[in-house]
Amino acid sequence: MKLDPSFIWTAFLQLLSVIPTTLYITIVSVLVGFLIGTCVALIRIYKVPVLYPVAAGYVTFIRGTPMLTHLLLIYFGLPMIIDGLAVHYGWSFRAASIPMIGFAYISFSITAGAYMSEVVRSGLLAVDKGQLEAAHAVGMTTPQALRRIVCPQALAASLPNLSNSVIGMLHGSTLAFTVSVVDINAKAQIVASTNWKFFEAYLAAALIFWGLTVLIERAAALIEKRINLYNRGGVA
Amino acid sequence: MGEPFDFSYVWSFLPKLLSTLSTTLLIVVSSLLAGIIVGFIVALPRLYKVPVLRTLSEIYISFFRGTPILIQLFLFYYGLPEILKLVQVDVTRAPVLVFVILTYGLHTGAYMSEMIRASVTAVDKGQVEAAYAAGMTGYQAFTRIVLPQALAIAVPVFSNLVIALLKDTSLAFTLGVMEMTGKAQTLGAVTQHFIETYIALALIYLVISFSIEKLLGMAEHRLLRHEDRNSPVKKTFGIHRNRSYRRIIAEMESGKGGVGL
Repeated sequence: MKLDPSFIWTAFLQLLSVIPTTLYITIVSVLVGFLIGTCVALIRIYKVPVLYPVAAGYVTFIRGTPMLTHLLLIYFGLPMIIDGLAVHYGWSFRAASIPMIGFAYISFSITAGAYMSEVVRSGLLAVDKGQLEAAHAVGMTTPQALRRIVCPQALAASLPNLSNSVIGMLHGSTLAFTVSVVDINAKAQIVASTNWKFFEAYLAAALIFWGLTVLIERAAALIEKRINLYNRGGVA
Repeated sequence: MGEPFDFSYVWSFLPKLLSTLSTTLLIVVSSLLAGIIVGFIVALPRLYKVPVLRTLSEIYISFFRGTPILIQLFLFYYGLPEILKLVQVDVTRAPVLVFVILTYGLHTGAYMSEMIRASVTAVDKGQVEAAYAAGMTGYQAFTRIVLPQALAIAVPVFSNLVIALLKDTSLAFTLGVMEMTGKAQTLGAVTQHFIETYIALALIYLVISFSIEKLLGMAEHRLLRHEDRNSPVKKTFGIHRNRSYRRIIAEMESGKGGVGL
């Protein structure tokens, strides 16, 4: 094996075609995860009776185990549950008709939900209690106060964490290869083994991920600047 | 898929998986040590603003934080022998574990250096000034004043990093290392009881990360003795701040998800 710099470019071009798959997985898991995370965070902040221990257990379990085990558990466990239910209730739907990428979406959303809930929670907790009290004092209801006063500030406070989570999910999406989804990592593996040029192919993949990560960071910095406008010190 | 679900298998798989726990912990501990050393070396140029070295360490951190650990594993496993071949060093016979530990060490090193930098800069500047005013030298001020406080700030981030590292080691199976996840996959393939093996696997990881978190939580408590110990008042409802400001700062800067990603 000899190092072949020109192959890095060849591999790079071939990898470009699968960037959308990686991005789909990332975006779907982040968006669904954000929804789950917000629900879980609100349950935990308001200590909703029955749901509170469930939410806490969910977050602990997900954050205490590797993302890979979530994916494998969903991949092997979900078909069993669905098929069991389908036989029991006589549905025509079978787990085999779920596309492979569906498992990645489901499991990564569940993973992202737990991490997002911590992001949302720390963001909400970072807002001074006085803000909520002031909102109540001028006659807003709690939902109004949350929507108009707390959430914008919480979003600004949690933006760095949010971008870290997005990057985390982007990097986590490389695990999708274990359920035979062809994302950047899997494609790099294919390109590498068909051409017997492993180093070059993975270097190209690394460069793509590096670029994507830097892009996300830059975008987050821009949004943060915009969203923190209200927070400038000094005279108006 | 596979055999019908039978929960009793979870118990019988636990000891089998635990037999490979030592490999997992070996990877965690050795790459943690490597990571701390690398982290210090990388953090120093940024703390002291050494011209060229600073840029280099920024690139290093950006690369290791900007690419997935899985890609890094493959990159080092396949790339390092080729690069070393150029300087006439043959490492093709080195055990896989060496590459794995090296990669995880360098990966953690990048996060460690960020942690070190963040916690040193988080110590109030007035503290150093006060130390100087009291007549301490720069070295004394660092070891007596800055370091103890920086340590306390770093602990929550450190605990997140250790847990993140523990969970990342589950990827070492891709290079054929027989650690817990690799063992779980072979067990699943042999017995066709996939779900039970993965439940057992998840349980083990959960217990380990939980104990790491608790242990380091105790360490943090001890290191923060100097802070005010009136426990914050718990408000019954709504948005509140009931944790130390430092803990929030630490979480904000960790960059690698809580009980990590």
